[in-house]
Amino acid sequence: MEPVVLDVGSKLVKAGFAYPDQDPSMVFSTAMVKTKDEESDKAESEDEEIVLEDVVNPISRGIIKDWDLMEDLWRYIFYTGLGWEVGNEGQILITEPLLTPKVAREKVVQVMFETFNVTGFYAVEQAVLSLYSVGRISGCAVDIGHGKTDIAPVWEGALQHNCVKRMELGGEDLTKLLLEEFTKKNSERRLDLATAEMLKETVSAVADDYAAVIRECPVEEHILPDGQVIEVGQERYMVGEAFFQPSLLNVEELSIVDSLFRCVSSCVPSENHRQLLENIVVCGGTATMPGFDARFQKEANLLATPSVRPAVVKPPEYMPENTLRYSAWMGGAILAKVVFPQNQHITKADYDELGPSIVHKKCYS
Amino acid sequence: MYGGDEVSAIVVDLGSHSCKAGYAGEDAPKAVFPSVVGSIGPSSLADGVKAEGEAEELKRTLYVGTQALGYRRDHMEIVPAVKDGLVTDWEIVDKIWDHAFRERLLIDPKEHPMLLAEPSLNTQQHREKTVELMFEKYRPPALFLAKNSVLTSFATGRATSLVVDCGGGSTTVAAVHDGYVLQKAIITSPIGGEVLTDCLLKTLESTGVEILPRFSFKRKEIRPGEFELVKLEFPNTTESYYRYMQRQIAADIKESVCRVADSNFDESAYANIPTTSYELPDGKVIEVGSDRFKIPELLFNPALIQAIPGMDKSFNEFASVKGIPAMVIQSINKCDLDIRRELFSSILLAGGTAAMQQLKERLEKELMEEAPQAARVKVLASGNGIERRFSVWIGGSILASLGSFQQMWFSKAEYEEHGPSYVQRKCP
Repeated sequence: MEPVVLDVGSKLVKAGFAYPDQDPSMVFSTAMVKTKDEESDKAESEDEEIVLEDVVNPISRGIIKDWDLMEDLWRYIFYTGLGWEVGNEGQILITEPLLTPKVAREKVVQVMFETFNVTGFYAVEQAVLSLYSVGRISGCAVDIGHGKTDIAPVWEGALQHNCVKRMELGGEDLTKLLLEEFTKKNSERRLDLATAEMLKETVSAVADDYAAVIRECPVEEHILPDGQVIEVGQERYMVGEAFFQPSLLNVEELSIVDSLFRCVSSCVPSENHRQLLENIVVCGGTATMPGFDARFQKEANLLATPSVRPAVVKPPEYMPENTLRYSAWMGGAILAKVVFPQNQHITKADYDELGPSIVHKKCYS
Repeated sequence: MYGGDEVSAIVVDLGSHSCKAGYAGEDAPKAVFPSVVGSIGPSSLADGVKAEGEAEELKRTLYVGTQALGYRRDHMEIVPAVKDGLVTDWEIVDKIWDHAFRERLLIDPKEHPMLLAEPSLNTQQHREKTVELMFEKYRPPALFLAKNSVLTSFATGRATSLVVDCGGGSTTVAAVHDGYVLQKAIITSPIGGEVLTDCLLKTLESTGVEILPRFSFKRKEIRPGEFELVKLEFPNTTESYYRYMQRQIAADIKESVCRVADSNFDESAYANIPTTSYELPDGKVIEVGSDRFKIPELLFNPALIQAIPGMDKSFNEFASVKGIPAMVIQSINKCDLDIRRELFSSILLAGGTAAMQQLKERLEKELMEEAPQAARVKVLASGNGIERRFSVWIGGSILASLGSFQQMWFSKAEYEEHGPSYVQRKCP
């Protein structure tokens, strides 16, 4: 049985057996619904019938907040989704966001070994995995998730902790922006969050020249699932622009490209800066917006000094199409093929002997 | 009475240039950020005369951490937390600790014992205030204050050594014997990394090079492949912020380009040295020639500071300051005769400025000339520049994870029973 790779994000769970040439077999929403006494999962399409207050999310801004819900989610993934049998669990590789506190890591290891009886465990940061998925071990990962954005320079597989930046901005803030803009335009119609989310994914794009687009933008009509027709104009570009001008989101932050450059320049030693900037991976759902890559590259060219040619790396041709969307999972699948056969992971015997704190020694971070 | 094997302690070293914080047992701090804050609002404690109560009413917003400082805000002044080696503004220290615990390490201080590094010349009053602030606000289960020099000594595994700490704000030479600092033998000098950075900045400006901070320019593409520099005007940026950002660039130049000369610096000898080039963030390339050696020479010969244009007004402060070799000799001479030999053979280099190339070799050479004939001089410094920067923190990490240290913690119960002045007994 192949090891399982699990990447739980604020919006989507990506899980599957470690086959790096395929998409994860399970991709579904992290949101869960409480039913009476027990908790269970419902896929996003059924959410419309359910009142919004009943929907809970164990993960907030990338970090696990509710451990009981998380356990239920894991149980669903392992036994129902992936087909593990009680007594015959396999090995698991888990991804984690930047700045995970030590206590949280130990807790994950503990739950995995004691509640689920896995036979092997390994944990890696998402930034490092995103780089592996495009075939690099040194470079910068810009991971734009639903709840948070991580900018992390990685040198030869080691995350440079002192230079990372975590922004509390993500896809969900873009959805809120879109919602606000629509309510400003037509206040009599109310869109709900799920529809706004879907709309954002369909229409938003990044403009090459924002100022020009704001002046004149063609208005398009879209049909919502409930049959209503909605007009979309410049809001679609506003959403795309938000990461390049965070003042649109009312946040005091530099643009994402600027933040990347600052992070890299605070890395020591300075000889590495060039290689870090020439291997930038921009991944995550939001990064698949049309025009995002080109705009990022353009801004990076403007900010770089003449001797450096920043390059946003594209996944190699042999990787599946959705690599950038699920890059952390893909990288995990690649790494799982290396770590588990070479016995670099934490085994049940190790855990029994040394306890949860072994995660800090064996899963270097 | 604290058993902590499962819960690791947190080690915090608040220096004059940067604050290092992380878990004990690790080999490098997880959180390293500048120990200055950006402050918007009425500057209250700048003159240090206002009472605590009044300061509370003058509300100011403080921004801590590399990310927050990197964003340019109108009217934001840069205020240092530590001046001349000692803490000046406790509110800022509080904010810095809070940032380290809550935003960088993401821990709950109530669950981890804290090991704090303090300057070797810390006063009784400062220690009590530190202990009080920590216990009252953050409520850790236990606390310990250790002197910087002692921690550096432990980092190399010695109980007796002479520690030369070349930090950002000052250089301190202290003798450590059997784990205790000999108070009478501590010598400090105000020449530290920041003075060197300032000198470099002034020197470059006098040659006509203008260092533009990152936020003050933008590049526009006029033709494909060709870029033009556009200067951005931000009239409400404070002078202190502008200088701070300029200093950051100058510090990077200093770290990549400067080296210590092999022997006494002579203007004429180095006049023909080939220049090294450095690319500034705005694309301009500058050539640095003999200044590469002149600036670090200040550590050995502070009188040179009058030769630096723009710095002569501070000459009077530096008139009585000695170079590092002289400080080392002076410190050792203040110690008892019997330990002098041991001190000479274990001189440790620590601090960010000590990571400068060739410093160890030059110091060894100068000391061998000045030391008494019988003494065998040995200067030790870890090969890795990163380890020299963090040697105080690493020493703290080692100390806090030792089994035999666990009974030495100053616990919360003891604090509540005896009060902050008990720190003198528990943390010698």
